[in-house]
Amino acid sequence: MKNRLLWMMIGPLVVASTAAAQGRGNVAMPTSDRVPSSLMTFFVTSRPIGDGGNLGGLAGADAHCQALATEVGAGGKTWRAYLSTQARPGQPAVNARDRIGSGPWYNAKERLPDYLNRRLQRPIIQSEIHGDTLDEARRGSNLTKEFAVTEKGELVNGIGDPMPTRHDILTGSQPDGRAFTDTDDRTCNNWTSNGAGSAQVGHSDRIGNGNQSWNSSHATTGCSQRDLISWGGVGLFYCFAVN
Amino acid sequence: MRIPVVLTAILAVSVAAPCVAFAQHGMPGGTPMTFFVTSEPIGNGGNLGGLAGADAHCQQLARAVGAGNRTWRAYLSTQARPGQPAVNARDRIGTGPWYNFDGVMIARDLAHLHGDTLELARLGNNLHKRTGLTEKGQIVPGLNDYQVPRDTDWEYSKTTPYTNRHEMLTGSQLDGRAFPPGIDYTCNSWTSNADPTSGGPQVLEGGAGRPNAQIGFPDRNGGGNGSWNSSHGTTGCSQTALNRTHGVGMFYCFATN
Repeated sequence: MKNRLLWMMIGPLVVASTAAAQGRGNVAMPTSDRVPSSLMTFFVTSRPIGDGGNLGGLAGADAHCQALATEVGAGGKTWRAYLSTQARPGQPAVNARDRIGSGPWYNAKERLPDYLNRRLQRPIIQSEIHGDTLDEARRGSNLTKEFAVTEKGELVNGIGDPMPTRHDILTGSQPDGRAFTDTDDRTCNNWTSNGAGSAQVGHSDRIGNGNQSWNSSHATTGCSQRDLISWGGVGLFYCFAVN
Repeated sequence: MRIPVVLTAILAVSVAAPCVAFAQHGMPGGTPMTFFVTSEPIGNGGNLGGLAGADAHCQQLARAVGAGNRTWRAYLSTQARPGQPAVNARDRIGTGPWYNFDGVMIARDLAHLHGDTLELARLGNNLHKRTGLTEKGQIVPGLNDYQVPRDTDWEYSKTTPYTNRHEMLTGSQLDGRAFPPGIDYTCNSWTSNADPTSGGPQVLEGGAGRPNAQIGFPDRNGGGNGSWNSSHGTTGCSQTALNRTHGVGMFYCFATN
């Protein structure tokens, strides 16, 4: 009992002095290198739900975003999955772009100004990621492979990286961020199917299928976890903070 | 009679197969290269010897790798001058489709390359870091490659070919056309290696009396947007100024035929 009390008192001191000793001779870790940064309002899920295109609907996907954010201490924000659902009798379509607030959005990594005093990390904004004007669509956005990191600040494996490729990101959306209006399934039955159906995906590394779309590059055949893997994804999706 | 026919077929397939499997520039059956990024700059900043000098550089680099039988054009615009109309980069490069060193298609046509409709622009073309190859098949070092403090110092970069050098001179707007006359976007029609004389703040856009070149990124990563042909300007037109923002004066070359 006595020992335990003693350790409770000196323990923090030991830890602190050890940390200080390790700090000597190294460059001090700047506070803004914390991951995730306090600015984080965007991430790619570090892991899938794991049941193919069955995410438990939009609610299940949002909960996954919220849970992952909470794990890294960013649960104080309201997180939404970037997913559309298609119209059904008595149920209007939901557009991914209408779910995520207005931005701008920052990723998990806050960078210090570099040696030319430039902040490399520019946020992404609504109109640029969706190319709302021809100029914006042509110019593109800062949603690059390096920007599209997970809530832990980790890169998502893409083309050219070690297998398996995880760059297929579920969106169910058109390039403008809105739901498809045709009758084909583009959302794994509004994110409830892990079997038949199809999901529209984008590429987090902006490479694949001859285009660079982050949110609407191609469709999958099938909605099982195995189907998603066969196309170069595992069922990851984008999460945006609305506040 | 039947056996020779079968044999011939097998022979034909086995001869053709390697060409398909390893289809590459310069190999029989491969898709010929009609697009590349210059593996090296001319080295005199924004002075390329005009469009003619830049075209000659493309042609020379192509010839060195056995692709000199095509007509090569630098993807560069020049702005209008009194008695001299503007030249649009997009009007110089033929009609496509264009293929890189690996035989991978960069763009089907001019509209695909430049995103002439909202739909095309949103999807983008197929030019990215892994396809924006030099005439030797090299990937162009980009934003996250070999980051060292001196990678913006030409004296260092010129002997260190793996530092970031992803800024391609284009002098063009997003649609591939020349900027209107007035503010310089083309290092004085690619004849100037001068820097701004006034010691004002360094800005990456054109301005009155400021030599400047518009640039784009083959790795689609820079300037906060990733435009391949019109992301931002430079701090000047000297070789030193180009390197200050991670360019060395390289440019795109397209075959017109």
